[in-house]
Amino acid sequence: MENQHGANRGSDFNPTWLGVVAVLFGVLLFASQGTELLKQLVIVPGTAAELGIAADCRPDELEEEGLSLQECQLLLSSVQISLASSPGWFRPVQIFLSLSSSLAAILSVAVGMALVADRRGPATLAVPVFGLLILLDCAGFIAVLNTGPLLRAQYLWPALLWFFIHACLFTAALVRRQQQLASDD
Amino acid sequence: MPACLQQRWYDDSNSWLAMTEEKLSSTAIILHWSVAVSVFFLFLSSWWMLGLPLPSDNFTYRELPFQLHKNIGITLIFLVVVMIGVRINHKRRQTAVTRTQLEKLAELDHLLTYVLLIACCVSGYLSSSYSGWTTTVWWLIDFPNWAEENDALNILFSDIHLWTCWALLAVIAMHIAAALFHAFNDDDVIKKMFRL
Repeated sequence: MENQHGANRGSDFNPTWLGVVAVLFGVLLFASQGTELLKQLVIVPGTAAELGIAADCRPDELEEEGLSLQECQLLLSSVQISLASSPGWFRPVQIFLSLSSSLAAILSVAVGMALVADRRGPATLAVPVFGLLILLDCAGFIAVLNTGPLLRAQYLWPALLWFFIHACLFTAALVRRQQQLASDD
Repeated sequence: MPACLQQRWYDDSNSWLAMTEEKLSSTAIILHWSVAVSVFFLFLSSWWMLGLPLPSDNFTYRELPFQLHKNIGITLIFLVVVMIGVRINHKRRQTAVTRTQLEKLAELDHLLTYVLLIACCVSGYLSSSYSGWTTTVWWLIDFPNWAEENDALNILFSDIHLWTCWALLAVIAMHIAAALFHAFNDDDVIKKMFRL
């Protein structure tokens, strides 16, 4: 009786919610990695922030932006912090990881849509795609771990959150796949 | 879900069931997801880019992100207009059904989303126009600089841009919550936006 009940509960797995959540987080990840890529393209070593030039804080601009003079000066400091705390290898690694994660995010959206539409073929890719996202999260985490405390403070927590989100999706996709295989036998 | 609620949502006029039978065109689905990705990118990147040093002859860090922000925003206006056209066309072909209170709320959410999307993009463009900065769409076409530089109007439209964007984010949060509600219920309503 218990086994029967358990089997029934197992067969109730709803791929729709997994697909919708995968698409939602895929869209958010794409936006997040796009922003990271933009950040790496804009904050480049050898630019004005490294030359010791004082911040240009005109009163009319400060009023327009709703900033105090000190905040305006600190905007420049934030770029200086990013540049000073990034080792030489960090920027190319981040660009590579952002591009790869953006691509994986698109794949996760496609897989999510296949899960909602209950298309068996593409949905079998859910496990490798979510697995790839976990690997990329781990690579990003390890990369940031090898920088200084300023970048760690900025990047580690979001990296850990994404890791757990993708771990949840991966585990759910794995359960779904096992159920599909069991129903085939 | 409690049986009484299920009765209320699913059997009352059978309109949820009627909604599941509606099929959206691939154009509508692709537009929806393109707009979704663009909007989230605009939110995330704008929070970051406003933390860059103010622009001057020496500091040009804001140039690329702001141009990209404006380009995506201008493109969004066209995408949203096409989306509204597709939706009106879809509505015309739809069979008339009685709407429940929740469905009317969903309609209101959609309407608000469209209105706020256009308001955000237009107010952003107007703010940029009055700031005196030029806009080159996708680094190809110079957008007409039809307004003279005006600080007061720049600040006014910048404020409108800011508040309409926060309102849009709230409406999007409701939209996502509703989508998750349908997904967790597995009631098939959600599937029409995922079937290409």
